[in-house]
Amino acid sequence: MNFLNKVKTIFSGGTKEEESASNVPSVPASLEENKVENIKDESKQEETVSSVSAVENEGAIIEPPSREEHQETPVLRKVIQAPAIESNVFPESPDVLIKAQPSPSGDQCLFRVNRDLLKGHSWYFSGFESAAGSPLAEGLFGLGDVETVLVHESTFTLTREDKTLVDWKPLAIEVGKKVREILNEGGALLSEKILAEMPSEEEIRSGIQNAIDVEVNPGVAGHGGNITLLSVKGNTVTVQMGGGCQGCSAADLTLKQGIHTTFRKFVPQVGAIYDETDHAAGLNPFFQGELNA
Amino acid sequence: MPKLNRFKVKIETGDSGMEGPVNFCINNHKVPLEDCVGSTAEGQSFEGGFEVNSFAHSLTLVGPEKGNWDIKKVTVDFEPDAIAPYSASFGQVMLDETTELNIWKDPPQPMFDV
Repeated sequence: MNFLNKVKTIFSGGTKEEESASNVPSVPASLEENKVENIKDESKQEETVSSVSAVENEGAIIEPPSREEHQETPVLRKVIQAPAIESNVFPESPDVLIKAQPSPSGDQCLFRVNRDLLKGHSWYFSGFESAAGSPLAEGLFGLGDVETVLVHESTFTLTREDKTLVDWKPLAIEVGKKVREILNEGGALLSEKILAEMPSEEEIRSGIQNAIDVEVNPGVAGHGGNITLLSVKGNTVTVQMGGGCQGCSAADLTLKQGIHTTFRKFVPQVGAIYDETDHAAGLNPFFQGELNA
Repeated sequence: MPKLNRFKVKIETGDSGMEGPVNFCINNHKVPLEDCVGSTAEGQSFEGGFEVNSFAHSLTLVGPEKGNWDIKKVTVDFEPDAIAPYSASFGQVMLDETTELNIWKDPPQPMFDV
C-alpha cells in the first residue's frame, strides 16, 4: 500500500484489523492448503467430542463390560472316594515273612506278616499284664521298650516306652526274630479267652455310640467338631471326624489320647480304632468348622 | 507331598460307559488327559496320562458332563521326583455330572524286612 492510500484509509475511518490484515504477507499456496486441512481435522475432533457429550447428555452412558459377565462360574463337584485296592506286599513263600513300616513321626511301627495272627478281629494289649496267656504279646513285651501291642488280622502295631527313640530298625529286627520263633513253634498265638469273651458287633456298636454321645461329642463340640461312628467290623471300629476336627492339626492327638481312651473305657473289648476322615478334603475345612458342623 | 513329574491312569469301565474326553482336575484346574488310548465305552479300557512337573495338592478324575459312568477299576501310576515310582488302585465307583473321584495317594511309607 502506498502512502496516499494509507492516508485515505485513516481519514475514511478504516479499522486496525483491516490495516493488519492488509499487512499480512502473502502465503504460498501449498501452505495455505495444509492450513485448511488442519482446520478441517480440528473441526472433526470437535464434532466427535460434541457427539459423545451429546450421548452423555441423553443419559445413555457407555460402561466398560463387567468381569462377571465374561467369567464362567466353575461347576463345584463333590469329591468322592473309591475303595482302595491293597496289593500284596509279600511274594508266595512257605517261610514266615515280616515287614516293618515305622510311622512318619516314629511314634509307632506297623509290622506285616504273611500269616493270619487274629482272623476277623483285633486286640489291644495295653501292657505286660494284659498279655497273660497270649504267647505272641508276651514275647513282644518281653523284649523290653514295648509299651503297647495292637494285633489286627495279619498285622501288629507297637508303640515303645522310650519316646525319644525314632529309629525302629534295632528293635524291629529283634521283633522279627521273636515273632518268627513263635510262629515256627506252631502253638496258639493269643489267649483263647479273648475270642471266647468277645461281645457281639451290635453290643460294641451301641457301647461306642453311647461313648460318642455321652463323652466324645460334648467334648469336641467346644471346638466345633463332631465324631461319627462309620462302621464296626468284628471289634474293629471306624470313625469319621467332622466339623472343626476335619483338617485340624490336633486331630491325631484328639483321636489317640481322647477318643481311644474313652472308647476303651466304655467298651474294653474294642480293638483297632481307625479314622477315615479325609483331612484334606473340602474348602479349608478346619477354619470353616462352623459351616461344616 | 513330593513333586510329581508324570502320572498315567488306566480306567476299566463297567456297565455304564461315558462319551466325551476324559478330564482330570489337578489343584482345581480341569485338564484333559493326554496320550489317550482305548475307550470309556461299556466294558472297555482306557489309558491316558499327563506331564505334570509340579506339586500335586489334589488330583481327581472328573465325572461325565452328562449321565453316569460306572468305573470298575482305576489304576494310577505315579512318577514322582526323587523317589521311586508307585501305584495306587481303586475299586468300583459311579461318577456323574456332580462328582469327581479322588485318585491321589501319598507315596507309601518306607518298609523294610525284619
